[in-house]
Amino acid sequence: MVYTRKNQRDLTASERRRFVAAVLELKRRGEYDEFVRTHIDYYTADGGGRLRTAHMTPSFLPWHRRFLLEFERALRRIDGTVTVPYWDWTRDNSPASSIWAEDFMGGNGRRSDLRVTTGPFAYGGGKWTVKYAMTEVSYLTRDLGRPGDPIALPTAGQLEEVMRERTYDTAPWNSTSPSGFRNRLEGWAPGSGNDRFRIHNRVHRWVGGLMLGGGSVNDPVFWLHHSFVDLVWSRWQQRNPGAAYLPATPPPVGDAQYRKVIARHQPMQPWGVTPAEMADHSQLYRYA
Amino acid sequence: MPFPRRVALRSLFALAVTAVTGGALGRIAVRAPEARATDPYAFDEMYAGRRIRGLTGPDGEPVALVDGRPLHLMRCADGGWVTPLDHYESRPTPLAATRTAVDAAGSAPLSRYAAAHGDHTEPTGGTPRGVHA
Repeated sequence: MVYTRKNQRDLTASERRRFVAAVLELKRRGEYDEFVRTHIDYYTADGGGRLRTAHMTPSFLPWHRRFLLEFERALRRIDGTVTVPYWDWTRDNSPASSIWAEDFMGGNGRRSDLRVTTGPFAYGGGKWTVKYAMTEVSYLTRDLGRPGDPIALPTAGQLEEVMRERTYDTAPWNSTSPSGFRNRLEGWAPGSGNDRFRIHNRVHRWVGGLMLGGGSVNDPVFWLHHSFVDLVWSRWQQRNPGAAYLPATPPPVGDAQYRKVIARHQPMQPWGVTPAEMADHSQLYRYA
Repeated sequence: MPFPRRVALRSLFALAVTAVTGGALGRIAVRAPEARATDPYAFDEMYAGRRIRGLTGPDGEPVALVDGRPLHLMRCADGGWVTPLDHYESRPTPLAATRTAVDAAGSAPLSRYAAAHGDHTEPTGGTPRGVHA
């Protein structure tokens, strides 16, 4: 049965409570931290010789679509009414937005050490001890808007520019791809200052703290962010019904991207599904 | 079979957190001055209260140490470098990337996960979840 992912701002108090409770239960069981580990394990930058499955690569979108689905399935085994809500950061674009309320994601980090001290994921509450992070912190951290060097969330206009791309991705299939929907949405850009951080990447930077690095999944807002990124991809697919995932076939021997990217019908680890198999989610979920 | 870099880095981490003065890491990091002078990735400075050092790692790649703990430097296609601490800002040099990592770390010590990243995509194989604690 097809279920619905909602805008987090439209959740009822009960829906908010049930989502948070399911996430906390997943954490209690130790399953949450396996998702954190998977994301760490699959981070590969694009200047080396390794296969890139999750970032700086065409399969950024289908890999995260599947990652989100796995997480959602785990939540729904705990509470079958729960789905992963999305955070439309073009609208709810301030530290004062209700997404950061005490009954949901909790608030900003404190100034001294960026530790989140409010809400269900505050370390002091005893239910959210960070296990896998890049530093030896055991608490969630945030630096919303990076007040020391302010940065704004992406605007609706900036997102619409990305939506006007007509091709899924282009060579060299990495963070330097000059056009194409995937790299524009992932948000790599040349230049200097905050202009380098676009769309998806910019949101990670805006939240700050653990969301900046390999431990980003430790912040539950990761899922709400990626639910919206997935929604944007879904809407783009609807607008461009003929624009399938690229590359359609693997880059050949001699190509700089040979064996470094996933083509349309190649399996993505750790699940062994292909980008083509992740293209259509209409039998699983829809966005409201 | 070549010695996988992640194993080397993990060993480096183990050394870094247990080494006493004069140990193996000390020999790597505190090389003779003439060796350091020819190491293109060598740096050694205090930044934001942390001691950061750079050296050439086992496969000729740059390795950074923050207060003696290894930091994985990942090359980007734009020619820059990112670290596990900050995935989103490609910096022009290993030194600049290390400073950015320190900015993200605050005062917290680096964990073992900062030393190796993306293990699952390592072409030399290895067990899945190879760096599980």
